[in-house]
Amino acid sequence: MAAGVAAWLPFARAAAIGWMPVASAPMPPPPRDKRHTRDELIILNVSGTRFQTWRNTLERYPDTLLGSTERDFFYHEETNEYFFDRDPDIFRHILNFYRTGKLHYPRHECISAYDEELAFFGIIPEIIGDCCYEEYKDRRRENAERIQDDEDTENGNDVTQLDLTIRQSMWRAFENPHTSTMALVFYYVTGFFIAVSVMANVVETVPCGTGSRAREMSCGERYALAFFCLDTACVMIFTVEYLLRLIAAPSRYKFVKSVMSIIDVVAIMPYYIGLVMTDNEDVSGAFVTLRVFRVFRIFKFSRHSAGLRILGYTLKSCASELGFLLFSLTMAIIIFATVMFYAEKGSNSSKFTSIPAAFWYTIVTMTTLGYGDMVPKTIVGKIFGSICSLSGVLVIALPVPVIVSNFSRIYHQSQRAEKRRAQKKTRLARIRAAKSGGANAYLQYKRNGLLADAEEEASKEAGKALVCKVNPTFETQHHHLLHCLEKTTNHEFVDEQTYETSCMEVSMVKPSTSRSSSVSSSPHGLTSCCSRRNKRKSFNVPNSNMTAGRRGSVQELSTIQIRERPLSNSRSSLNAKFEETVPLNSEQQPYITAAIISMPTPPVTTPEGGDSASSPDFLQSNIVRVSAL
Amino acid sequence: MAMQGMELLAMAVVIILFFMILKQFGLWEPLSLDDDSSDSELELAMVRHQPEGLEELQAQTKFTRKELQSLYRGFKNECPSGLVDEETFKTIYSQFFPQGDATTYAHFLFNAFDMDRNGSIRFEDFVIGLSVLLRGSVTEKLRWAFNLYDINKDGCITKEEMLAIMKSIYDMMGRYTSPSVKEDAPFEHVEKFFQKMDRNRDGVVTIEEFIETCQKDENIMSSMQLFENVI
Repeated sequence: MAAGVAAWLPFARAAAIGWMPVASAPMPPPPRDKRHTRDELIILNVSGTRFQTWRNTLERYPDTLLGSTERDFFYHEETNEYFFDRDPDIFRHILNFYRTGKLHYPRHECISAYDEELAFFGIIPEIIGDCCYEEYKDRRRENAERIQDDEDTENGNDVTQLDLTIRQSMWRAFENPHTSTMALVFYYVTGFFIAVSVMANVVETVPCGTGSRAREMSCGERYALAFFCLDTACVMIFTVEYLLRLIAAPSRYKFVKSVMSIIDVVAIMPYYIGLVMTDNEDVSGAFVTLRVFRVFRIFKFSRHSAGLRILGYTLKSCASELGFLLFSLTMAIIIFATVMFYAEKGSNSSKFTSIPAAFWYTIVTMTTLGYGDMVPKTIVGKIFGSICSLSGVLVIALPVPVIVSNFSRIYHQSQRAEKRRAQKKTRLARIRAAKSGGANAYLQYKRNGLLADAEEEASKEAGKALVCKVNPTFETQHHHLLHCLEKTTNHEFVDEQTYETSCMEVSMVKPSTSRSSSVSSSPHGLTSCCSRRNKRKSFNVPNSNMTAGRRGSVQELSTIQIRERPLSNSRSSLNAKFEETVPLNSEQQPYITAAIISMPTPPVTTPEGGDSASSPDFLQSNIVRVSAL
Repeated sequence: MAMQGMELLAMAVVIILFFMILKQFGLWEPLSLDDDSSDSELELAMVRHQPEGLEELQAQTKFTRKELQSLYRGFKNECPSGLVDEETFKTIYSQFFPQGDATTYAHFLFNAFDMDRNGSIRFEDFVIGLSVLLRGSVTEKLRWAFNLYDINKDGCITKEEMLAIMKSIYDMMGRYTSPSVKEDAPFEHVEKFFQKMDRNRDGVVTIEEFIETCQKDENIMSSMQLFENVI
C-alpha cells in the first residue's frame, strides 16, 4: 500500500460508522492508540543541505533508518537536528520516497553510489518504481558484468602453469593465443595455412595457358601434383589442429557440437573422401562437388578475427529483422511479378513468359540492379515497373538501419570490453601500487629505525604511488599497530619480491640441512610456500632448519641478504650463517635485510625427546601467515 | 493493350490495395478533421479546486486548525488537483480491502460524501463529512448513516436500496471467508434489519424510525463512539 493512501486510513475508519447500524455482531474494541505526538517538523542536515519533513512522513516506513529509532544515533543536540554525512543529491531521492511512496532512480547517478546510499538508509532497491526500474536493473547488470569480467580475467591471469594439467593449459593456449609464445606461434601458423589453402583453391581454377594438349588448362590441372602436395600439407595441419583441440577440450561433446568444429570437419573432409574414392567414374562428379566445400576453410578465419565474430553475432541477433525483410520482400516480389506479368501479357515477344519468370525482373528492379535483360514494353508495364523500383528502395531501406544499429551497438560493446581490459592493467597497477605504497611505507619506517622524521619518508614513499598527502597521525598510529602485531607474533613483514627470493633460497637450502628431523616435514611447507606465492591472500612460512636443541631462545632460521648480492653468494652466506643468531634489525648496511623468519619457542608442553613426533604438530601450530600488505 | 475484363478487375484491385497501403504508412491523408478532440482532454486535467479558507472551514466543522492542516496535507498529497473523482476514490478505498471488491460500496460512499452531486468530492465535502463522523453527535452520525443507505436520497430506505448496500458490504469480504458467504446472506441480513427497523411495516424505513430504533439498541450506540480518536 502506498504511503499516500495511508493518509486516507482515518477516513476509511471514520466511514466505517456506516456499517454500525447493520452490524450483526458487536464491534471489536479499537486498538490502543499510542497517543501520537503532535506532528512536528524534523530537520535533516545532510552534509550542510537542510531537509525538513514531518515526523509522520518519516515514520511511514519504520523498518528504514529514518523511520526507526536508529536515526537517534545521528541526532545532534547542539543544533537540534539529525546530521548525516552523506551525499545530499541522492538523499533527495530517498526523502522523496518517504513523501510519495515511490523510489526513483536518477539516470545520471552512478549505480554503486546509489546502491550504497540505499543500503545505508535501509531501503531495499526492489521498491524502485516502475518508471525507473528498468533503467536501474540494466545499470546494475552492467556493473555486475564489469565486476565479473574483472574477476574472471584476474583469476584467469592468476592461475599458474603448475596448477593446470597439460590438457587444460593446451585448451587455454587454443582459446587465448596471447597467453604464451607457443600458442601465438601456433595461431599464426594456422592462420597462414588457412590463407595458403584458400589461395590455392582460388588459383587452381585460373587458366594457365595451354599445356601439352591444345586446349586451355586451368592451373589446377597443369600443376596437379604441386597443388595436391599443398593441399595435403594444409589438410594435415588442419587435422592435427582439430585433433589437438578435440583432446584438449574440457567437454568433448560440446566441442564436437560447436559451429567451429563442424566447419573444421567440413573443411578437411573432402580431402579424405577424395583419398578414399579413387578414380571411380560415377562418383567423380560428386567428388568435384565436394571440393566446393573446401571454401569453408575461409570460415576458419573467424577464430582469428573478432570482427567476423561480431558480424556473425549481429546477424544472429538481428534474425527477426532479417526475417521481416525477407518476408516483406517476398510479398512485394509476388505482387509486382503478378502485376507485371499481366501487364505485359498483351505485348508479343515479351520476355515475361510466366509469373516466376517475372520474379527475376522484380528482384532485379527492386534491388535497383537493373540488368536490362527483361524490360517491359507496354505503357502500363512501364508504369508498374517504375512503381516497383521505387517501392523496392523503400522496402529494402527500412530494416537495414535496424541491423546497422544492432551491429554498431554490439561493436561498441566489444570496443568497451577491450578498452576495459586495456585500462584494467593500469587500474590494477594503480591498486597494487597503492597497496605496496602502504607496505613500503611501513618497511621504510622500520628501516629508518623509528626516527621521528620517518613519517615524512613514509609519506613520500606512499606518495610516490598515488596519494598526494598522507595523514601523518594516521600513518604513525597505523605503523605502531603493525609493529605491535610483529611483536606479538615475533615475525616481521616483508615485501613480495624479497619473500619470493627467500622462498627460492630456502628451497635450495633444503637438501643441505637434512640433519634436523623437522626438515623432513618441511617439504610440504616449502612447496606450499612457493606454489602459492602468487596468491595475494597469505603465505605459509616454512619453518625448516629448526634445530631441535635450542629451546628458550629465539631462533633464527634463515637470514637472507639480497639485492646487492647475487644469488649464489647469498646461498653460501646462508650456509655460513646457519649457526649464528643474527639479531633483528641490526644491519645498517647497503643491502637490506629482508626475510627474517623466526620461530617462537614452544611452551613447556613440548616433551624433550619427542622431536620427530612433536615437531609435525609444532609445525602445524606454528604456521605463520604473513600477509603481503 | 488488349486486356480482358478479369485482368482489368485484378489491376483495379491491386491499385486500390496500393493506395490503402499508402494510407497505412501515412503518405496519403484524406483530409482529417478530427485532430481537435485530443486537445480537449487536456482542458479537464487543468481543472483545479482551491478550498475555502481555514477560518470558514473551522466554522463549518469541529476540527481544530492543526487538524485541518494535517487533513488537507494528506488530501492534497493524494489528489493534487484538489478534487477527488469517483474513480480515484474507488481506487483509494479498494486498497484497504484487498481481498474483496470494494468498488460498489465505494460508489455509495462517494455519493454520501459528494453532497452537491457534481461527481467529485471537494475538500470541503470531505472535511465536513469527516467532521460529522468523528466529532458529531450520535444523532448526526445516525443521520449520516441513513443518508448513506438512502441511495436516491428520497428520505426513506427501501428494501432494494438496503439490499444493494448489503450486497456491496458482503462483496468487500471477498471469496475466502469462514464460514463462506452464502448466496442469500445479504437478503437474510436485510430481512433482519427491516424486522428491527420497520416499525409500521410499510416496507420502508424512514429517518425517524431509523434513529429511534438505533437509539434503543445498546450495541449500535456503543459502536458509534468507536472511532472518536481516529484523527
